[in-house]
Amino acid sequence: MDFESNYDIVGSAQFIRTHDFTRVALQFPDHLLKDSTRVVTALRKRLQSLKKIDVTEGGHEKDVGLFVMADTAYGSCCVDEVGASHINADSVIHYGHTCFSPTTNLPAFFVFGKASVCIPDCVESMSKYALINSKPIMVLFGLEYAHSIQQIKERLLKPSDPKLEVHFADVPSSVMFPSKDTKKINGLQEPASGYHGESGTTYSIGGLTWKLPEGQSMDDYSLFWIGLDDSAFANVVLTFNTCDIVLMSIVVVKIPIKIMNLFDSAILEARYELDWWQDFRYDANENQMVTDLFQQRRILKRRYYLVERAKDANIVGILVGTLGVAGYLHIINQMMELITGAGKKAYTLVMGRPNPAKLANFPECDVFLYVSCAQSALLDSKEYLAPVITPFEAMIAFNRGSQWTGAYVMEFRDLINLPQTEVADQEEEARFSFLKGGYVEDFGNQENVEEEREALALVNATEKALQLRNNSNAIVKGNARSGAEFLATRSYQGLNMPIENISPEPYLIGRRGRASGYEDEKNQQ
Amino acid sequence: MARKKDDQRAMVGSEEVKFTIDQLRRIMDRKHNIRNMSVIAHVDHGKSTLTDSLVAAAGIIAQEVAGDVRMTDTRQDEAERGITIKSTGISLYYEMLEGDLKNFKGEREGNEFLINLIDSPGHVDFSSEVTAALRITDGALVVVDCVEGVCVQTETVLRQALGERVKPILAVNKMDRCFLELNLDPEEAYLTFQRVVESANVIMATYEDALLGDIQVYPEKGTVAFSAGLHGWGFTLTNFAKMYASKFGIDEAKMMSRLWGANFFDSATKKWTNKHSGTATCKRGFVMLCYEPIKQIIELCMSDQRDELWSKLQKIGVNMKSEEKELTGKALMKRVMQSWLPASSALLEMMIYHLPSPASAQQYRVQNLYEGPLDDPYASAIRNCDPEGPLMLYVSKMIPASDRGRFYAFGRVFSGRVSTGLKVRIMGPNFIPGEKKDLYVKSVQRTVIWMGKKQETVEDVPCGNTVAMVGLDQFITKNATLTNEKEVDAHPIRAMKFSVSPVVSVAVTSRVPSDLPKLQEGLKRLAKSDPMVVCTMSETGEHIISAAGELHLEICLKDLQVDFMNGAEVSISDPIVSFRETVFERSCRTVMSKSPNKHNRLYVEARPTEDGLAEAIDDEKIGPGVDPRNRSRILSEEFGWDKDLTKKIWCFGPEGKGPNMVVDTCKGVQYLNEIKDSIVAGFELASKEGPLADENMRGVCFEICDVILHADTIHRGGGQIIPTARRVFYAATLTARPRLLEPVYLVEIQAPEQVLGGIYNVLNQKRGQVFEEIHRPGTPLYTVKAYLPVIESFKFNESLRAQTGGQAFPQLVFDHWDMVSSDPLEPGTPAAARVAEIRRKKGLKEQITPLCEFEDKL
Repeated sequence: MDFESNYDIVGSAQFIRTHDFTRVALQFPDHLLKDSTRVVTALRKRLQSLKKIDVTEGGHEKDVGLFVMADTAYGSCCVDEVGASHINADSVIHYGHTCFSPTTNLPAFFVFGKASVCIPDCVESMSKYALINSKPIMVLFGLEYAHSIQQIKERLLKPSDPKLEVHFADVPSSVMFPSKDTKKINGLQEPASGYHGESGTTYSIGGLTWKLPEGQSMDDYSLFWIGLDDSAFANVVLTFNTCDIVLMSIVVVKIPIKIMNLFDSAILEARYELDWWQDFRYDANENQMVTDLFQQRRILKRRYYLVERAKDANIVGILVGTLGVAGYLHIINQMMELITGAGKKAYTLVMGRPNPAKLANFPECDVFLYVSCAQSALLDSKEYLAPVITPFEAMIAFNRGSQWTGAYVMEFRDLINLPQTEVADQEEEARFSFLKGGYVEDFGNQENVEEEREALALVNATEKALQLRNNSNAIVKGNARSGAEFLATRSYQGLNMPIENISPEPYLIGRRGRASGYEDEKNQQ
Repeated sequence: MARKKDDQRAMVGSEEVKFTIDQLRRIMDRKHNIRNMSVIAHVDHGKSTLTDSLVAAAGIIAQEVAGDVRMTDTRQDEAERGITIKSTGISLYYEMLEGDLKNFKGEREGNEFLINLIDSPGHVDFSSEVTAALRITDGALVVVDCVEGVCVQTETVLRQALGERVKPILAVNKMDRCFLELNLDPEEAYLTFQRVVESANVIMATYEDALLGDIQVYPEKGTVAFSAGLHGWGFTLTNFAKMYASKFGIDEAKMMSRLWGANFFDSATKKWTNKHSGTATCKRGFVMLCYEPIKQIIELCMSDQRDELWSKLQKIGVNMKSEEKELTGKALMKRVMQSWLPASSALLEMMIYHLPSPASAQQYRVQNLYEGPLDDPYASAIRNCDPEGPLMLYVSKMIPASDRGRFYAFGRVFSGRVSTGLKVRIMGPNFIPGEKKDLYVKSVQRTVIWMGKKQETVEDVPCGNTVAMVGLDQFITKNATLTNEKEVDAHPIRAMKFSVSPVVSVAVTSRVPSDLPKLQEGLKRLAKSDPMVVCTMSETGEHIISAAGELHLEICLKDLQVDFMNGAEVSISDPIVSFRETVFERSCRTVMSKSPNKHNRLYVEARPTEDGLAEAIDDEKIGPGVDPRNRSRILSEEFGWDKDLTKKIWCFGPEGKGPNMVVDTCKGVQYLNEIKDSIVAGFELASKEGPLADENMRGVCFEICDVILHADTIHRGGGQIIPTARRVFYAATLTARPRLLEPVYLVEIQAPEQVLGGIYNVLNQKRGQVFEEIHRPGTPLYTVKAYLPVIESFKFNESLRAQTGGQAFPQLVFDHWDMVSSDPLEPGTPAAARVAEIRRKKGLKEQITPLCEFEDKL
């Protein structure tokens, strides 16, 4: 694959030229940064040649400023509009893997890159799979494979086998303009999980869109994914987790025995767990079909656990995970309302891309709510001291009466127009915590408590300050309802008692060197 | 008009109604005429059957069927399995004759008595039900099978009763076995009974309590009854003493003392002696005057010698109805014995005479019950059992109501009164006085008294009584303290301490995903319905049900599916046994971890805690709640700690109270106080999920040897220290030869000699270790005691039954944690395999994270 086509130099130049952009930011993810200079050179050359044509046509003359942006503060899949606005850019060209989240202000051009795929193998296994499978197949793919899809499609449908019902998602256009419609900026766009148009339901996820005829839903289809096991795939998997399970046999030429085994175990598993979805993945690099999605299935269960954990939280930290995705302010406000409505305390934290050490600086937060684009939304690791949940999970956790149904929404934009489930509080009941195995108090149930607490917070805190603490060891974590209360229960209150011996300390020579190994330590080794 | 209506509210549908609900309610106000008692025993020693005969006396069931109905076994599965699963309350009305009360010294108002009785299960798995029953009663009728004697569960429940300051009386039950089944020689029978009484007394003697007084039981003082629950007869020595006192013309009390112990009567010389004189006519008082007359009557009945029987009966003043004379064999015997020595009157009399009324019991029980200061108005209201005082009510369990999904809150009023419509403050188990956590104010919709299978609504219930309430179930999980709405200063009543813990777990998922809400609702109800079962969730998102034993779990799962989920199916995982992680010796070196910014370093060593220290922490003898001076003393005296070190315990964990700790041994480190909270937070995480298999740690003491901190506060914040602390604790554990601890059951099996071989076989297969085998004198029975790892115990019952032809019944109760001797870090060992298995189940990488991930080099 040659360089120019991989980086779509022609398309990018065309994009700049046709819209007359003068300051263009080129956003590279870290692993592509090494190519940035070559891309800039090539692009500039291309623009030059286009300019010549322009000049001959007698247009105006302008220099195009190209700026390379690296090291984005948030996920590299989103367009870094804040970074681009630092240099007053009027458009962004985004390279590499993208989540295709809509931008707020700047037009963007996406270069997905082109990954190679062995088309005949892919077509063969797909058609075999389709023959045995009773359900129609919907083919979804990673954007970096978009370039081969047309070929696969042609090849696959060439035999004109009427029985073969294979549908392909549409290849997205590489150009994105921020929506002028204010309603849309607020995020009121078509929901990713599908909306009912006149002629059927349109789905869109991670840039891919497709349409299903009237009366059909994704449950009637089997999903076929061409691409890597990356965040885009995880996104698809979680969003369409209710897709009906179809048992299918796949025979891949290369390793039939292994696949048959996988198939057998898949039958068993499916019989055992009818509740979870199953779809199939075609890994283009290794050219093999993977049906064992146990790991992904676990994720969903794990998310269910995190939701239950979040229900027990008193203090929620809202992590701002994006400054670019359209509607992020709206969702943050909505989440704030939701959390305070549930009688919990919310703090908004802006810290760039979160990591465990950063989050551990806020031990008072029982749970973090991460507002970001769909593909970087899932943060889960043992390293985190408190669970990190998505806005959708927060909706379930903090809305009294909403149930975990297994349906999952990754894009927070879809939550904005999700109907607020009005929970008629007809039966007052304390909330049952499944982690503690008993009833726990819900502050929402107790009127006026919150108000009183706000007004008297200081008074209460000072009152407690003078309480006799019989045992400093009795530190109870997790009962604090606000950051102030948490700090009040800390054993360390800010100052050490002056040590009786106040004679001056002798002069000492400190350590030298860097923290990773001071000089005296280096000598020891 | 109203009067008449009230009369129609008479108790139960049987024709022979002996009392009305109004009568019952009237006595509830007379706190000296109430007895609250539980019936406790080993499984299958005849509690429920004996209870039946008491209920029969109250007229709730017909005398004829007493012994067969098991009035207090209200559930279908209880009836089918023939064991009690839930404790059931029943209120009985009993009117004593004036003459029978002439020796009664205590306070009373009139001759009518109210007995609030709770029948409890005998199987170890349901011990929590016993605990809940004991909390709300003042006396306990300990039932012991005269042949099997005092068994493991008898001992457990007896200890629990004494721990709660519940006064015990003894019933030596299944007397009929002596006569009909074993045909014991009278003297031998006496010795058997004596052994039962003695072994019970041995246990009680260890609980000397000045306030409770002498708690041992003596047949000659009337605190031991002899009964045959199945046939509905029974007696105390009082009955016989009364009978003979008039005949011999001696004092009743003197007569009584001669009926037990080394008192012999020679019928030839008509003399009483203290020793057996050796002549054939010399017989023990008990044998001659109690045992043999009964034996004679029974033999006459069974051999159908009617004429002689009638004349004998005439002599002892028993009149039989003509239709009863038609009976033959066992039926006749049962009827005759019931008329002669009705169990109910013997037992009820014993209860009224020897068990404390709430008024007297609460005087000393207040110390056990009330958490707050003992001189506040609430404590004194409890102490005086004051109906006009503030309401203090302890809800000890929740009982499923007939309309699905709702529960009655069942408990005891200790002071004040609870009435329909009363607004009450509900203080949950996590309530802390002065705070608003776990606190609700709600109205009682209805107050109900419990009558076994039936319930009766009453206007209000005064202190000293048990009560069930409607309308509070959505705020109480298992237990709670209730008080009046305005009594904001009241402290709660102390939480119950269970003798068993939930060690057996399974994961449940709904078969159909759309049933998840049903499953959640079902689990919620299950958690309420049982005092012990714990419904939690694993980190992998599965719902976990933990119970005390296999049988308990089985019952819970059945309840969940059939009753609480309306038949929706769930899939149940294999049993999950929780393990613990510990260390075998001190860390081989001081390990160090650096913070993510490399500026802070923690140096830590791990070492096992001293023997018995972990248990002491479990028992809250040394723990966060203990006065530091006391803790310091116990640690230095019993565990040989350095005095200074005992003051440097930073924390316990997990949950702030577990059997692991952090001790600060470093000197002169600046800013150390500042990072203490962060280290505690890191320790909490580490001790909850150990490095081997994410299981809780147990018995590990971490010593902080040195700390290097960055001079700027911002660089030694929680974000830097908490993860570092966790890593360094893991590293210290891994360098201290980590080991796995597995839970071990104590198994007690009673079986005849011929099946002992089979028992040993099964135990051997299951890694069991027999440590005691005792022949029970006077019987063909052997008692085998063994330790059995919980992980091997599944299907133990089945294999035992198969190997012994159903003649051996094991009782399994969690006993201790035992170290798995092999090294889990060495591949191929059983411990390593176990660790890999746990990790796989939890969805972790099978390989233990290596030390180098946690320890940093200089």
